[in-house]
Amino acid sequence: MSELSWQRTPLITIAFFLLRQVKQLVSNISNLIPVFAAIFVAGKNATWLPFALVGGYLAYVVISAILQQRFFLYAIADDAVHIRTGLFNRQHLTLKYERIQQAEIHQVWYFRPFALTILSVDSAGSAGKEVMIPGLTMTLAQELRQRMLETSTVSETSAETATESAATPDVEQHFPASEIVRAGIIDNKLFVLLAVLIYPVSQLDLLENYVVPWVQAHVSWLSSDNAWLLVGGATVAGLALLFLLAIVVSLITYHDLHLSISGERFQARSGAFSIRTLSFRYPKLQAVYIRRNLRARLLRRSVVRVSQLQPRQAQAGQTSAQQFVLPVVDQRFLQRFRARLRMPEQHEVHWQRLSNLALLGPSLWLALLAPLAAVALVLGAESGMLGLLLTALGWLIIQTLIVLSWRNYAYSFVTSGTTPQEQWFVVRRGVFSRNENWYPRHKVQQLDVVRGPWLRLLGFAHLILHTAAGSESIRYLPAKQALTLQQEWTQEIAQNRRRWM
Amino acid sequence: MSIAWVAPEPSYRSYLQVRSLLSMLVLAAIVGVAWYTGVYPTHVLPLWAAGAIWAALTIFFSLFFAARRFQFTAYARTDEGIHLKQGALFRKIRAVPLNRIQHVEYKHSFLERLFGIARLAMYTAGSGGADLTIPGLDPEFAMQLKNELLTTIANEPTEDTQANE
Repeated sequence: MSELSWQRTPLITIAFFLLRQVKQLVSNISNLIPVFAAIFVAGKNATWLPFALVGGYLAYVVISAILQQRFFLYAIADDAVHIRTGLFNRQHLTLKYERIQQAEIHQVWYFRPFALTILSVDSAGSAGKEVMIPGLTMTLAQELRQRMLETSTVSETSAETATESAATPDVEQHFPASEIVRAGIIDNKLFVLLAVLIYPVSQLDLLENYVVPWVQAHVSWLSSDNAWLLVGGATVAGLALLFLLAIVVSLITYHDLHLSISGERFQARSGAFSIRTLSFRYPKLQAVYIRRNLRARLLRRSVVRVSQLQPRQAQAGQTSAQQFVLPVVDQRFLQRFRARLRMPEQHEVHWQRLSNLALLGPSLWLALLAPLAAVALVLGAESGMLGLLLTALGWLIIQTLIVLSWRNYAYSFVTSGTTPQEQWFVVRRGVFSRNENWYPRHKVQQLDVVRGPWLRLLGFAHLILHTAAGSESIRYLPAKQALTLQQEWTQEIAQNRRRWM
Repeated sequence: MSIAWVAPEPSYRSYLQVRSLLSMLVLAAIVGVAWYTGVYPTHVLPLWAAGAIWAALTIFFSLFFAARRFQFTAYARTDEGIHLKQGALFRKIRAVPLNRIQHVEYKHSFLERLFGIARLAMYTAGSGGADLTIPGLDPEFAMQLKNELLTTIANEPTEDTQANE
């Protein structure tokens, strides 16, 4: 080990360590809320306390970033990357090239002026170690990545990979700005953010303290008769602003989105400031998700996500951006892309619906809860007829949603007509949206047949299939069919010798 | 093709019973401490009623439920996978294909040692805890099964051996 040449990252990578810590704080902020509350209460008597804490935190972040940079050493050997970190707790990580699942190059905005990149490497270990080496030059990063991915896949296509990278890609697709704008409209992220923001904003008493006095002072024509106009206008303006923001965000993240497919290698590059490169190799594909929400259906576009085996922690949230995503795909290209993924054509899929019995459970619960709600409203809140009407309406709406989601739920086992063939298991669901989850059949890892007392009585069973990318259940299958399916599949998977991760 | 199910060791039943008895004893201890310190709300539920409920639950879980759970627990090792049946009320049959097993763990807790049984846990990739745990095995047999499984997994032919397909 002594011949390893340890290298330190450039000074500018302090920025990377700094930002990583800030990111950590932001992602842990919800856990820290009680602490903030305590500080707030204590701060009533000592106004200097919050300032001292913020100052202390800033000093800590800067110092620890500098120390982290000083103590981050990496060495590149012929067969592995070695990384040594830690001031007090020394960590020595050895990552063999052949065990590497994924290697991505990120051109972050603050590194771009210096022509530096971040190489992030993923292994399939259960600990979910994702390693980032900041501050590599582009050529070195590219060379390193090439070496990692070649070694890790050398067993399958040793001859191919070498030529693959040099050859021009088979499929190239560039997404124009107009498509990216559509992606922004389809994207849901901002609505989630809005839901998160509503509570803190509502605590600020913005409306009573600022908005109402301003309106009373400046808008003289307003009376209580046309107040609804104002409210409606504000809602529309707020929504428009949200969409605008979403479009801007999408234009920044997916600027100049470029997809290239060569052989089994899929790659997408995008970004206005930070350039992201996401890629995956076909044998590592675990699931394909085709999402079409209501807006996407109106625009005739879909969102396609491809998931690989990801360490558990990454799935929990933060690194989900690592997933291979095409944010907006039109029908024509979707067909081509599906063919590349060895997925069958739309008309080849024979959808199978769930048994009518699947409706029974949720409907029964609802039928039980609705009268209870009605009684509570009428007797408890003394709302009279209005309460009854409201519960009836609520029952109707929820029951319709239950029926709709049952109607749209379907599954299928399909073998594609492409060469080479691929067998798929697909589940479709959605109330207003249409979401399809595709799993290659031989990547199923566990099969469960579950029967509760109620199901045993009826002679039905749920079949649950677990893959590395998540599990799907087919509910209310006849018990016999579920058991035969389980056995058949176990046999077929066991006889399948192809790589599955 | 039918699966040849194998029942766990008979002492697994006693193990289950003792385990549920132990958890009931913990519950009793909590109530006891509450009564001793005066926190226990006697006016809501008199102590004798709580005792009766406790006794009924203990008898139900230790005698009936544990026995029933034992009755439906079985495993099977076929050429292509490991199967496991479990559950007293909610029955579950799980199958894991052999070539998807990542690692195998042999577990032998204190209580299990008293009854002379062991567990064998199998893990697949990318999931949380143990994916399939066969309880109530004879320790020697469990070790043997573990070694056998490991050799099978290690000797698994992959695409590498038959590349260029």
